[in-house]
Amino acid sequence: MTSTWGVGQYVDRTGHRVAWEVSHDEIRRDTDGATTRLEAIGVEPGRRVLWCSMLSEAAQFWPYIIATMVRGAQLSCADATRGEAVRVAMFTRQMTYHAVLGVNGALLDGLDDLGRRYGDVFHEVSVLGARPDAHDRLVAAGLRPTHFVLAGPAVAIGDEPGAPARVDPTEWELHDIDNLVAVTNLAERASHFDRTATAIHARQITSDTFAPNSS
Amino acid sequence: MSGPPVESVFYDAEYETMPRDRLADLQLELLLDTIAFTYERSPLIRELWRKARITPADVRTLDDFREKVPFISKDAVRQFRDERADPYGGLLCLPPAELTAIMSTSGTTGDPTLVAEKWGGISVGRPSIMYRDFWGMGVRPGDHFSLFLFTFRGPTYGFVQSLGAVPVLFDYDLDEIERLLRLSIEYAPTAMYNFGGTMILATDQIAARAGIDPREAFASYRGIVWAGEPLGARARGLAREWGMSLFEHSSVGDVTASFECSAHDGMHVWEDTVLVEGIDPDAVDHRDAATVTDDDARCELVATALTNRVAPLVRYRSDDIVRITRTPCPCGRTHARIRTVGRKGDEVVVAGRSVLPVDVWSAIDSIDACRLGLFQIIRPARELDELRLRVGYQDTAQSRLSTLADEIAAAVTAEVGVTPAVELVPNAELLRLGPPHKIPRVAAR
Repeated sequence: MTSTWGVGQYVDRTGHRVAWEVSHDEIRRDTDGATTRLEAIGVEPGRRVLWCSMLSEAAQFWPYIIATMVRGAQLSCADATRGEAVRVAMFTRQMTYHAVLGVNGALLDGLDDLGRRYGDVFHEVSVLGARPDAHDRLVAAGLRPTHFVLAGPAVAIGDEPGAPARVDPTEWELHDIDNLVAVTNLAERASHFDRTATAIHARQITSDTFAPNSS
Repeated sequence: MSGPPVESVFYDAEYETMPRDRLADLQLELLLDTIAFTYERSPLIRELWRKARITPADVRTLDDFREKVPFISKDAVRQFRDERADPYGGLLCLPPAELTAIMSTSGTTGDPTLVAEKWGGISVGRPSIMYRDFWGMGVRPGDHFSLFLFTFRGPTYGFVQSLGAVPVLFDYDLDEIERLLRLSIEYAPTAMYNFGGTMILATDQIAARAGIDPREAFASYRGIVWAGEPLGARARGLAREWGMSLFEHSSVGDVTASFECSAHDGMHVWEDTVLVEGIDPDAVDHRDAATVTDDDARCELVATALTNRVAPLVRYRSDDIVRITRTPCPCGRTHARIRTVGRKGDEVVVAGRSVLPVDVWSAIDSIDACRLGLFQIIRPARELDELRLRVGYQDTAQSRLSTLADEIAAAVTAEVGVTPAVELVPNAELLRLGPPHKIPRVAAR
């Protein structure tokens, strides 16, 4: 088997997508980290998680999808697009989800198109993981979202609503470059990151946490 | 099973080329197992069978099956789901807690329905769909493989990795086309899944703007799979010009999927995993459903899962009009092949003339402003006095719209012999109807 798991992408400081080669070893390590993060937000056997993502983001999301199974929970998937709002609304209508993670502005636009109130769609969701372009809209609707951020190649999730977004501290070190989140990989990876600035505007808090600005 | 030798044409030669009499024996064995399994566990199937006054003991042969077993429709699944508050529509054969994932159907024809999955599986079959198809197209360990897809079906990249190939991942989005072209030149992938007509048509302009030669970008591909919607004449012409080796792909009644092989003479259905039947599309139920046995005759596709042990569909009436052939394929495989004609629910009859979306497709996408081929047939009822079309356009001034509508009407009239009333809307308005870039081709109003 080739050592390369796949070629995904991350968004750089200019907003462009950069091809990102990822190894199987990285995916294995990231799955361990993801399992810890999901445990911290209450993903347990018998619970469900709905992942809202795009295929090009699979290198970031796949470890979390595997970790959902490792935690004994069940998963569902929807694209993070305007047209997929109908699918997200269908899932939360049919079943109870402990967490819906990766909600973005496009999905909220789609719910607006459908005339669906965010509070009705997500009212039974305990952990509503919102990307920066969705976070404040959900707060304005009276919900309590948790930060969910793709900081370039690194996934950052808040411990609770309002808490800063946290990356895996064994894999990533964060830096502030012109109020942008920058990342350095701490363990060997197929692609090297050295203070690589991402498109995420934020206030850095510690070497593994930041408070994203809304966008 | 471990992978085949790289020089092998087939991924699973024994099963792909199995003589049809052996295949029939295998199907009957799997079918009898399946119906006993589902009858014990699926509330919907048990209810339907009880109404039909049969049990698995009444089914000993394929003829028994065809005569006695009731159909399942998507509406029946939705009705069971809504009336019984069962999110799985009465199909689930496992305790819900044993599921790994709950995915969903595309939702092109209405509310998406749930697809229950148990990964790491309890399928009783051998690797088939995708593995056999892409191996046949020439994908080998170490190759790069472009996935241009959505995520709602789940992590499709797993099968690419199981073949020993490396997925290069793209969103199913027009905005990803330039990146796809650039990375195709860089990584030289050998296959792509899934790049349909809308994407091919959009590539023409995007490549020109980016200064990329599509022939160079697509040169490494041995197979590019398209699906979901018919391919119009304009898209086929571009694909030919760019040297794209296209392979059609289609679902098989929500049970499995089918792909063209190198012979490009229909899409193979892996019959060791699914039993396909063709019936008279006008049949009311199983009691009056004449089996269409003539080779390549137009019929409605009915599918039964043979190896699924999570939520198998038994005699699922697909609403898809197809042609089925069971004659040996020039590629050497023995399994049936289907050709899609259209969806029964998409057909309108105007002044006694049947019109399906595929019939007007090429007329519409032959016009520059409508080259993405985005349109809907307005279908308040099956029988209509007038053909009404809602057509997407681009790059056209408001003052030109009336002329554009006349051009479309003339092209459609020439193609199908029915003059339509044309409503024009910007492409973006139709694209919003998703799933992305695969819009519903009929609308009630």
